[in-house]
Amino acid sequence: MNPETDNQIQQGELAAEDLIEEVSIDGMCGVY
Amino acid sequence: MDVLLGEPWMLSPSVALRPEPFGALAYHFGNRKLTFLKRPELVAVVRALGEAADVRTALEAAGVPASQHPAYAAALRGLAATDMIRPRPVAAAEEVA
Repeated sequence: MNPETDNQIQQGELAAEDLIEEVSIDGMCGVY
Repeated sequence: MDVLLGEPWMLSPSVALRPEPFGALAYHFGNRKLTFLKRPELVAVVRALGEAADVRTALEAAGVPASQHPAYAAALRGLAATDMIRPRPVAAAEEVA
């Protein structure tokens, strides 16, 4: 799960999954 | 074309946006959902929704090319599914105008 690297998207191939990502709040423990 | 593009929407009042290098984190205090907004343009769109006449206007103001509107509309529907954004009630005066 690394949104920074996920931003490498070709023009014209954009999908909703490239724009949003729902995450579990439990998975954020220790990160925030 | 997605009908959502012609509709007025708004950020849910229960949602806080936290700026991040990749875009923003959206946290919903009601349902405790957390979503990455992975592009700054999407963050700009979400922030502008409440003031824009419709979604398409917010997309254009954020500089999103028309070819990407369907992807953004799908992403916004994803945000709507967890109440991050919601349809904006149109005031009677705004309807007449």
